Amino acid sequence: MITGYQLAFIALAGMTVTAAIGVVLMPNILRAALLLGLTLIGVAGLYVLMNAPFLAAVQIMIYVGAITTMIILAIFLSNRVMKIGFFQAIYNPILAAGAAGLMFLFLFLTVANSEWIRAGVDVGPANSNVGVEAVSRALLQPYVFPFELASVVLLAVLVGSVVIAKEDTADA
Amino acid sequence: MHSAYGIPISWFLTVSAMLFCIGLFGMMIRRSAIGMLLSIELMLNAANINLVAFGSYLKLPSIAGQIFAIFVITLAAAEAAIGLAIVINIYRLEQHIDADKITAMKQ
Repeated sequence: MITGYQLAFIALAGMTVTAAIGVVLMPNILRAALLLGLTLIGVAGLYVLMNAPFLAAVQIMIYVGAITTMIILAIFLSNRVMKIGFFQAIYNPILAAGAAGLMFLFLFLTVANSEWIRAGVDVGPANSNVGVEAVSRALLQPYVFPFELASVVLLAVLVGSVVIAKEDTADA
Repeated sequence: MHSAYGIPISWFLTVSAMLFCIGLFGMMIRRSAIGMLLSIELMLNAANINLVAFGSYLKLPSIAGQIFAIFVITLAAAEAAIGLAIVINIYRLEQHIDADKITAMKQ
């Protein structure tokens, strides 16, 4: 018997993984970036299923809204040749597929054989307070130092990316 | 009756492993630097799914998983900004972004 949640999970996971395969296999990098947006939306849906609605909103706003837009702008600024064939866009795929497949096999066997998953946490997301209020309390009480550190990092990144991307004129 | 959701945590972990390995594959086969950045975003999302899944499936659910994921998203935005600035600068210098042929720092 498949519940509605399980059906939603299967649909979202299928969309996410299919779009992710498109991201790595599309020879046209612009299509790959658009498919990355679809992947990120699928991951946001998975966050909702994991009882993390605030994180899903953050994912949509920052990842889908900002990062994908930035990547697409960079593609427009830097990609002269939009039409390249599949085998000009990639290296040897056989070796890479073997390595990634081995990694997946290892991870999957680890996940499938872990006893503590069956014993301890295999009961579904607990319905406790995980909304905006809990996130904001955690950010401003125990995690306030990393929070402030993150703002310093963002300031440094702001300055650094402007300096790096700025056109090098004949400097005095 | 375990939970209204009925989704075992291993499902989420499997999807996360798939995303990570797809990102790894893309990282190894892409020639263009922007393609590599896209693959990095896939891998970061896989890590985020794991963090949030463990945070919310614990017996005493912890908000720490979500907080870590928020920090990861912040740093991913920073990394994408710096990475794309470098890509644009390299394109301006060399008119291509093929990661194998970049020689701007070789003398």
